[in-house]
Amino acid sequence: MIIDIEKLRNSEPNIIVLGSYPPIIQSILDFDFIVGRTRPSIHGVIGLNKKSERYFWGDKELLLPVYRNLEVTPNNLNNKINLFLSVVSARRVLFTTDITLKSLTNLLGGVIFAENTPETHSLKLYKEIQSINRFIIGPSSVGLLIPGILKLGAIGGVEIKQLFNPILYQPGNIAVLSASGGMTNELLNVVSSLGKRISFCMSFGGDRFPITTPMEAIVSAEKDTKTSHIIYFGELGGVDEFKIAELISQNKITKPVYTYIAGSVSEAFSTPPQFGHAKAIARNFNESAKAKMKSLKEAGAVVGSSFTELVSLIEKIPSSSKENFAIDKEWKKLINRQRALFVSTISHETDYGVRIFDDDLLDLAKKHSFSYITASLLLGKKITSKELEEFVDLVMKLLVDNGPSVSGAVNTIISARAGKDMVSSLASGLLTIGNRFGGAVNKAAENWIYGVESGINPGDFVEEHSSNAKPIEGIGHKKYRVENPDPRVKELRRWASKLKNRKFLAFAKKVESITTDKKSNLILNVDGAMAAILLDILFEKEGLSIKELKRLTEVEFFNAFFIIPRSVGFISHYLDQKRMDEGLFRLPKEEVAHVSRTQ
Amino acid sequence: MARVIISEYKAKGLLSSYFGYKYEGFKILKEGSLQKQIKTLQPDKRYVIKVDEGIKKREKSGFLFKDIQRQQLKTYARKLFDKKFNRLLIEEYIPHSKKDEKFIALERVREGIAIYYSNKGGVDIENQKNTVKKEIYSNKTITKISNFLKVNVKILEELISGFDKYCISFLESNPFIIKGERIIFLDLAIEVDDTAEFFVNGIWSKADLVTTHSALTPEELSANLLAEKSPASFKLNLLNPQGNIFTLFSGGGASIVLADEIYNKGKAKDIVDYAEYSGNPNDEETYLFTKIIISLAKKSPAKNKLIYIAGGVANFTDIRITFRGIIRALDEESVFLKKHKVKIYVRRGGPYQEEGLEMMRDFLDKQGLLGEVYGPEKVLTEIIK
Repeated sequence: MIIDIEKLRNSEPNIIVLGSYPPIIQSILDFDFIVGRTRPSIHGVIGLNKKSERYFWGDKELLLPVYRNLEVTPNNLNNKINLFLSVVSARRVLFTTDITLKSLTNLLGGVIFAENTPETHSLKLYKEIQSINRFIIGPSSVGLLIPGILKLGAIGGVEIKQLFNPILYQPGNIAVLSASGGMTNELLNVVSSLGKRISFCMSFGGDRFPITTPMEAIVSAEKDTKTSHIIYFGELGGVDEFKIAELISQNKITKPVYTYIAGSVSEAFSTPPQFGHAKAIARNFNESAKAKMKSLKEAGAVVGSSFTELVSLIEKIPSSSKENFAIDKEWKKLINRQRALFVSTISHETDYGVRIFDDDLLDLAKKHSFSYITASLLLGKKITSKELEEFVDLVMKLLVDNGPSVSGAVNTIISARAGKDMVSSLASGLLTIGNRFGGAVNKAAENWIYGVESGINPGDFVEEHSSNAKPIEGIGHKKYRVENPDPRVKELRRWASKLKNRKFLAFAKKVESITTDKKSNLILNVDGAMAAILLDILFEKEGLSIKELKRLTEVEFFNAFFIIPRSVGFISHYLDQKRMDEGLFRLPKEEVAHVSRTQ
Repeated sequence: MARVIISEYKAKGLLSSYFGYKYEGFKILKEGSLQKQIKTLQPDKRYVIKVDEGIKKREKSGFLFKDIQRQQLKTYARKLFDKKFNRLLIEEYIPHSKKDEKFIALERVREGIAIYYSNKGGVDIENQKNTVKKEIYSNKTITKISNFLKVNVKILEELISGFDKYCISFLESNPFIIKGERIIFLDLAIEVDDTAEFFVNGIWSKADLVTTHSALTPEELSANLLAEKSPASFKLNLLNPQGNIFTLFSGGGASIVLADEIYNKGKAKDIVDYAEYSGNPNDEETYLFTKIIISLAKKSPAKNKLIYIAGGVANFTDIRITFRGIIRALDEESVFLKKHKVKIYVRRGGPYQEEGLEMMRDFLDKQGLLGEVYGPEKVLTEIIK
């Protein structure tokens, strides 16, 4: 595919990185920072195991979101992305690139970094992009660089000091094209030290079948209006350079091409050696560096007989750049930047007090309720709906205590009576919270999200659980039943009538109607109801997507709405016991039965 | 990391099983017991014995003998082993008429699969080049080729699909014959794309590769081993073990450029090794790699030895870390380096170049070793004296 460099120059880069290679990602962020962008051109990383990665933005830090795949990225992000940078291993190149091409509608193209991608995989991708008008540079490419606009890859370096080179920022007139990643940077170094500047620079890679062919690379430079001269570095192996010579002879390439084809040394070996890059082996005379240089020279290219000579030829290329790009002194401080020990996105301390989401805590306290501040902190951003504030307030009240007989309260009481302090007794109570007691809110939320997202029939949903003998979190109560409903659930449901669609609650209710047919205590419990209504509010009123709701369940967000109010209850039971000063608790003999195990 | 030749034995084995029949060839290794291996062959049949090391024009070069009796095989095998070959192939000799010998080659190209074919196969193909036709595989061209070669189109289709399935990059059979419904490859050469090893599920593997001509030197073997175990890449080819120029280059392209420069200066005959690393190896790896190069330096009787530790301006290879390993190895061998006045020329750039180059300068100074150290301010090839 011929690459429209002009178009890239005029569009804002919005990049997704496939796989993670922190030094390269950091170098792109640094490039963005130095060119004066207000935010990074990289919007996220597709990777595993992490939710975000930390990078420097200038000398501050930022978190780059990590997504497991392109299905869980926010939709508006997928629409925004126009470029990808793949740093996955060679084995995963085909699979991940293929999905990326299919998932991102506004993609212009991307770069593949991996070396050792199978030939057949490169060819499949080559074929695939011909009909969809997108470009792929690589495999084995260090990337594409357009000064001051785009750094898509390791190209130009990864260390901060390397990034202070003005050639990365100040546009010029020379296009640098190279089969070798290292030589790409070497040529940038040559051009830069001769005081010249580039229009763009592309490492098309030394594989047998680069997806952007050397011919396409050179035609891209020919079509680019900012390019007046082309430097082309090729290697022995393959016959691409004959096609380039043909293009020059046919006047399809009119801009002067300065070139060196490496590999004359191959003749010194008794059998043709395989050099570093996959294509770099000359099995016959046509594939030799000598034959290629001869053909290019005859076609009219400016051929250096050695690299040293090429350098002196480049020196004669006229430069177009006028002003010098000054390296801001401020940036020098980036060299000494240091990573913080940990990061917080919700609050920080200042000399004047604590700020929560950039608001002064005192201001917040004056203007808002406890529930508002709590919900905002838990969600990690300021909530926007009255409904969420109101519902959190209701939940906090309804769940504050459920009597002394439930697991957590019992533990707290026993600890208190054993003479333990407040924190120990509270902790002992909290430690009972899990999937069976109180902590099922989050699991229930997972259930309802699954139900709504997959569109599964509630009957099948119940069947899935019962066939695996798995209880449904959010369903079932020890005490309450259809005939004797949980008054708290009734109240929560009554409140929910304020919402419009209530699709999560609707699904939960349908599940309940099936389970209660089986057994009358399999009712929607307080965990389940709370989870469903919270989901509905977050979806309808706070505008969270299903993907974002899923990420909340991954961090156990929903359990917080049980743990917080119930901590009040546990502390109260502790204080109650201490005030009465009851002695050490021991189970009366008749409460423990001795039963022999039957064989 | 590229196209590599697998043994003819393996090539025939995997294609035969793809076609659904058993391959009856025999591989004979130098280190095996010849007598025992040959004994298992039927005494009344006639055989072909040939070198199986990816060499072309074997018959003309005297590396292939056909229509041989069993009891003679041993003599011929000895003859070939004495020529320093390690791997032979014995097959039953199939009598056939010269005019039945056909030629076919498949090559993976950007447009698809290129098919080269001729009705005049055999040892003289070199002189029959104008009879070799070329097509890109398609339903239409395969029918045309089938009619021309008088080979059932099903056989050709099967061959193409095996070629694709096993990630073969190049296949040449010269000659092959058709016997009944079967295609018989009298001679077969296959190059596979070794980056696809993971995807062929053990159909072929690194163990099936043949190295052309003489076996690898121990140093080359160690370098290969290092490369296999690392995500970075290492390459070592020996040229003249008696020479005085040792290279330790870095960067796939820059290394060739540097070697070219020595060649252009007419010093190729003095080069002992072409050594290259790239892809950000760690310091342990560069340490081991440097040790290999120094062991070559110790072996060469030449005077005025010099080592080029040179490379381009790296994009992502950490100069500090790679140089740390190199310095450690040089340090261990500093007595040798000093005693023989080995000169060390360094030119390199890239991430953390300042620290890396400074470390190198310090080291050479402290040890009193001879040499020069440059960064990107020096034109890459100007380091070559």
